[in-house]
Amino acid sequence: MTNLAILLLVAGAVVATALATLRMVQGPRHADRIVALDIFLAAAIALCIGASLATGRTVFLDVAIGLALVGFVATVGWARLVDKGGRT
Amino acid sequence: MTVLAAVLVVAGALLLVLAAWGVVVLPDALSRQHAATKAGTLALALVCFGAMLLAQDGGWTWRLALILGFLLATLPVASHLLARAAVREAGHESDLANAPVVGRDPHGR
Repeated sequence: MTNLAILLLVAGAVVATALATLRMVQGPRHADRIVALDIFLAAAIALCIGASLATGRTVFLDVAIGLALVGFVATVGWARLVDKGGRT
Repeated sequence: MTVLAAVLVVAGALLLVLAAWGVVVLPDALSRQHAATKAGTLALALVCFGAMLLAQDGGWTWRLALILGFLLATLPVASHLLARAAVREAGHESDLANAPVVGRDPHGR
């Protein structure tokens, strides 16, 4: 039961990453690519929690804490660049 | 309890796929941003609560609560700036360019 749930969690994160990669490649604008970056962050945190559940170790949760803390910086930086009208 | 935890984790995984699907299917950057940030946050919250119920351990619970707290504190900020950038980038092609909610940045262009 638990193993199936973890498997589905990892599969869901992989599918979400694939779909976000499609949007990242297609664009067409920079704002669309930043949205794909947000999905990457969510999938990475979900994969960290999945790894932690699968192995029973909390170290992967610490990785997820770090990701949750700094993951939005890339989004904010890129969004500010687009907002300021920089040459992107 | 294990069943409830498994259901929560699987629901979170499905919602994450749904968020990514919305990012691919929806027509413009502003609506894509809604799909990514709102559904993505809810998906991670469900996964965190499911993992809390699965582990039932103090060390896991506060770490997962910390992850959830950081996400709830930072993702709205990113989402807001992303929405601003999406509207600004759409520029004169969109009616949203003159929307009062965006305003003019005195330090911007």
